Amino acid sequence: MRNSFFRILILALIIAALGVLSIYSSTYQKEGSAWQDIYMRQLLWLTIGLACYFFMSRLNYRKLWDANYFIYGVALFFLLLVFGLGVIRLGAQRWLKFAWFNFQPSEFAKLAIIIFLARYFSRKSIDDTSLSSGKFGIFRGIILPFIFVSVPMFLIIEQPDLGSGLMLMLVFIGLLYLTNVRLKYIFILLITLIIPLPFFWHFLHNYQKQRLLVFLNPNIDPLGAGYTVIQSRIAIGSGGFLGKGWLRGSQSQLYFLPESHTDFIFATFSEQWGVLGSSLLILMYYLIIRQGCVIAQRTQDSFGRLLAYGISFLLALQVFINIAMNMGLAPVVGLPLPLMSYGGSSILVTFIALGILVNIDRTRNVF
Amino acid sequence: MERKTILKLIITFMFFSLVAGLFNLGIVQGSKFRRLSDSNCIRLISQSGSRGNILDRNGQIIVDSKISYDVMIVPQDLNNVDQALALISRVLGVEAKELRLAFRKNFISSSVPVTVVANIGLKDAIALGEYKIEQPSIIVVPKPLRHYPYGALAAHVLGYVNEIDRWRLTKLEDYGYKTKDIVGFGGVEEKYDYYLRQEEGGLSVEVNHRGKFMRVLGFEPPRNGKDVVLTLDLRIQKIAEEKLAGRKGSVILMDPYTGEILALANFPNFNPSIFVNKRSKVISGLFNDPDAPFMNRAISSSYPPASVFKMVVAAAGLELRRINLSTSFVCQGSMMVGSRRFNCWDVHGPEDLIQAIAHSCDIFFYRAGLLLGAQNIHDYALKLGLGRNTGFDLAGETSGFIPSPLWRKINKFQNWYDGDTANLSIGQGDCLTTPLQVVNMLAAFANRGYLLTPHIVKSVGGVDLSAKKKRFTRVPFQKGTFDAIDKGLARVVSDPKGTGNTLSGLPVKVAGKTGTAQVSRGATHAWFAGFFPFDKPKYVICVFLENGGPGHASSVIAKQIIEAMVSQEIM
Repeated sequence: MRNSFFRILILALIIAALGVLSIYSSTYQKEGSAWQDIYMRQLLWLTIGLACYFFMSRLNYRKLWDANYFIYGVALFFLLLVFGLGVIRLGAQRWLKFAWFNFQPSEFAKLAIIIFLARYFSRKSIDDTSLSSGKFGIFRGIILPFIFVSVPMFLIIEQPDLGSGLMLMLVFIGLLYLTNVRLKYIFILLITLIIPLPFFWHFLHNYQKQRLLVFLNPNIDPLGAGYTVIQSRIAIGSGGFLGKGWLRGSQSQLYFLPESHTDFIFATFSEQWGVLGSSLLILMYYLIIRQGCVIAQRTQDSFGRLLAYGISFLLALQVFINIAMNMGLAPVVGLPLPLMSYGGSSILVTFIALGILVNIDRTRNVF
Repeated sequence: MERKTILKLIITFMFFSLVAGLFNLGIVQGSKFRRLSDSNCIRLISQSGSRGNILDRNGQIIVDSKISYDVMIVPQDLNNVDQALALISRVLGVEAKELRLAFRKNFISSSVPVTVVANIGLKDAIALGEYKIEQPSIIVVPKPLRHYPYGALAAHVLGYVNEIDRWRLTKLEDYGYKTKDIVGFGGVEEKYDYYLRQEEGGLSVEVNHRGKFMRVLGFEPPRNGKDVVLTLDLRIQKIAEEKLAGRKGSVILMDPYTGEILALANFPNFNPSIFVNKRSKVISGLFNDPDAPFMNRAISSSYPPASVFKMVVAAAGLELRRINLSTSFVCQGSMMVGSRRFNCWDVHGPEDLIQAIAHSCDIFFYRAGLLLGAQNIHDYALKLGLGRNTGFDLAGETSGFIPSPLWRKINKFQNWYDGDTANLSIGQGDCLTTPLQVVNMLAAFANRGYLLTPHIVKSVGGVDLSAKKKRFTRVPFQKGTFDAIDKGLARVVSDPKGTGNTLSGLPVKVAGKTGTAQVSRGATHAWFAGFFPFDKPKYVICVFLENGGPGHASSVIAKQIIEAMVSQEIM
C-alpha cells in the first residue's frame, strides 16, 4: 500500500525534476525575467501539485462516485466559460485567466470524463462489484456514453484543440473496450466515426490541415508548419547516445526549436541527455503506467478498476502522442508531456490523477 | 486473452516503439542530425588576409594592399532595414534608391549580412561607426584591396588582379582556389599568385535562431600573402616610363652581369586599379583597343631587328674568319645581288668593320653576309640568344624568329636566294626579335661572353632567388671579336657621323647600335640597343618604338633616360 504511494511519488518527482531542469535550460538565456523565472513558476506548480497528490491520496476515491455528476458539470461549465472569457494564445482559445495564472479546462475535462465513464459503467453496490456493462444494449452501451463524451469533446475541438478532443475519444474507446461492452458495438462505433472522417477535413482549420499534411511530409513547408517538426527531429537526433549535456543543447538553447519548454520539451530533454537519458525517461513513464495497471488489477472495486485503467491509459496516450509528435511520428497537436511540460493545469491534473490512483490502491482492502 | 491484457500489450508496444524511434533518430541517423544541428547554429565569418606586396629591388613598395571598408546590414526585419538604409544614405550621401537596389540584389537570407556599399574610405567608415548603438544592424567590414600608389607604373610587369575566371579555376581547383577568389592576371601577379595570395582565416561563431551572435567557437587567423621583391629599380622604371610617355613601344634596362631587369616599360599601358574599382566600361574599352594596351610588348611581340642584327653578322664573320678588321668594302649607295638592287641608306665610300658598324653601312653587311651564308648567320644569331625564348620569368614570352634556308625549304617549299641572305644580313625579311632578346644579346657584348637569363623576381617571401635565377651560358667567341664589335658600338656614339651620335654629349660613355626596321605598313620601327658606361658596363638598355620612325628617335629617348639617370645620381 505504502509501496505504490512512494513508488509513484518518486518516479513522478524524478520526471518533474528533469522537467524543471529542461525548462530552465530552454529559457535561462532568454531576455526578460518573465522568461528566466519560468522554472520557478513550474516549481511552484509542482509544490501545489504535490499537495494535491497527498490530498487526493487521502481522499477516499469513492467520494468521486458521488460527486461524479457535479465534476462533469463543473468541467462542462469551465469549457463553456472558455468560449466566453478564454484567453487567446497561439491562435487558440484554451485558457481561462485567473488572478495570476492561466487555467486550461480541457486538461481537467479529460480527468472528469474518465471519472464519469468509470462511474457510468460500474455499480455502487458493495456486494456486486462486477461491471454492469456486459448486459448493456447498443444504446446504453455506446450511444448514451458517446453523447456524454461528445459534448465536452465538441467544446474542446471548437477551441480549437483537436489533440485534446481526439484524446478524449481515444480514452473513451479504450475504456469501452475494458468494460464488457460487446466488441460488435465498439466496431460499429469505430466505423461510424471513421467513415465521415474525409468530410471532417473541410471543417478543420487551415493550420490543422497544414499540420496533418506536414506530418505526412515535413519538407513541404520547412520554414512554416514543418519547421517545428524538423527542428525537433534535429534536436533529438543530434543528441546522439549520450546527449550534448545539460545547458549545451544548441537546438533548444539557441531557440531553433519553438515551444521548447512546453509541447516540445521532450526534444529539449533528449538533445541534452541523449538516447540513453530519453530511454530512461520513457522507462520511468512506463513504470508509472504499469504501476497504474497493477493497481487497477489489484482492486476489487469495478469503479476503482475502471478509474485506474482510465487514468493509466490517459497518461500512456498523452506520453505516447507527445513523444511521437516530437519525433515526427505523429502529427503536431497541442498536447503537453505530463509532468514535464511547463503548465500548471497539466501538472495539477496529472498529480491529482496519480493521487486518485494511489488512493484506489490504499482503499482496496475496504472491499 | 483478456481485454485488459491486450490493452496492456498495446501500451507496452507503444512505449517500445517510442524507444525504437529514439534509437532511429539518435543512433541510426544521429550523425546526419548532428550535422544539421551544427549547420543550424554554426556560421563561418571569413576574414581575408591581405595579398602579398610587390616591392622593387630597394624595398620600395610598388603594389600593396590598403584597407577599404564594406558597409553591410543585417536584415533582421524590414522596417529596420529601411531605417538603416536611410541612415547610410544620409551619412554617405548615396541615394537611398541605389542602396535599396543593392540590398535587393545582394540579399541571401536573413542571417547573412548584405553588402550595400562597397569600398568606402576610412572617414566614412568612422562616420558610420558612430551609429553603432543606434543602428546595430549596420556593420562596417574592413577588406584589403589592391592599391597601386604609382598608378599604371610597370603595369605589364605587375599584371592585375580580378575575380578568377572559369578557365583558370578548372586548372587551379586542386590548389585550393575557389570561385570568386581574387587572382592575378598577367605579369608577376599571375606568375607568383600562389605565393602572393593570402590564406583566408575566420571565426566560427554560434548563432541563435535569429542569426544573432552567441559566442565564438574558434578562430583561425588569416595569413597574409608573401611579398615578392622585384629586380626593378623604381627610380629607373619611373624615368623610363616618363621618357617613353605616349609613344608606342617599350624600354628595357638590364644589369649586364646578372640578368636582372632594372626597368621594363611599355606603352600603351593600363592602370591596374580599374580592376579593383570594377570600372567595367573602362576595362572593356581597353580590351577592345586595337593598340593592345594589355600586351607586354617587351616580351610578347617580336619585330624585325634591322641594323641591330648587324652585330650578329659581324660576330659571325670575325669568328668564322670570313672577314677581319682590315676587310673593307666600298659603299656606293647600292649593289646588285642577283638581279635585284639592294640599297644602302647613304653613300659611305670605303668602310671597314668598325666604320660599318658606326655608320650602319648596309653594303658592308650585305657583302659580309653573302660571304658567310644564311645558315651561318642563323647559327650565330641563335648563339646570341635570338630566335628562342630567353627564359624570362614572366609568362607570355615569344621566341621571335630567325629564318634559315632549311626552314624555308621544309616549311614553304621555296628556295633560298642570295637576296634573302642579304636581307637577313641587315635584320630584315622574316627575321623577328623581341626587345628583351635584343637587350640580352647586347648584354653578352657588354659582359664579353655570357648569355644571361633575364629575370625580374629577386626574392619571394624573404627567400632570395637571385642565385637560382642567375643562369648563363658561355658565348665562346674570341676576345678579339668582342673587342672589335664593342669598339664599333662605341664608335656608333662617338663618331660624329655615327648613327647614335646624339648620345655622345652625355657624361657617361655609351656604346650601342641603332636600328630602323622597314615594315610593310606604316612608319619604320625605331631601335636603340646599347650599354653604358662603356668601360665598366652597368646597364644594358633597349629602346624600341613601334612605328616610331628612324632609329634616331629611339636614341633620343635613350639619351633622355641616361641623362635623367645621371642627374638623379643613380649611376
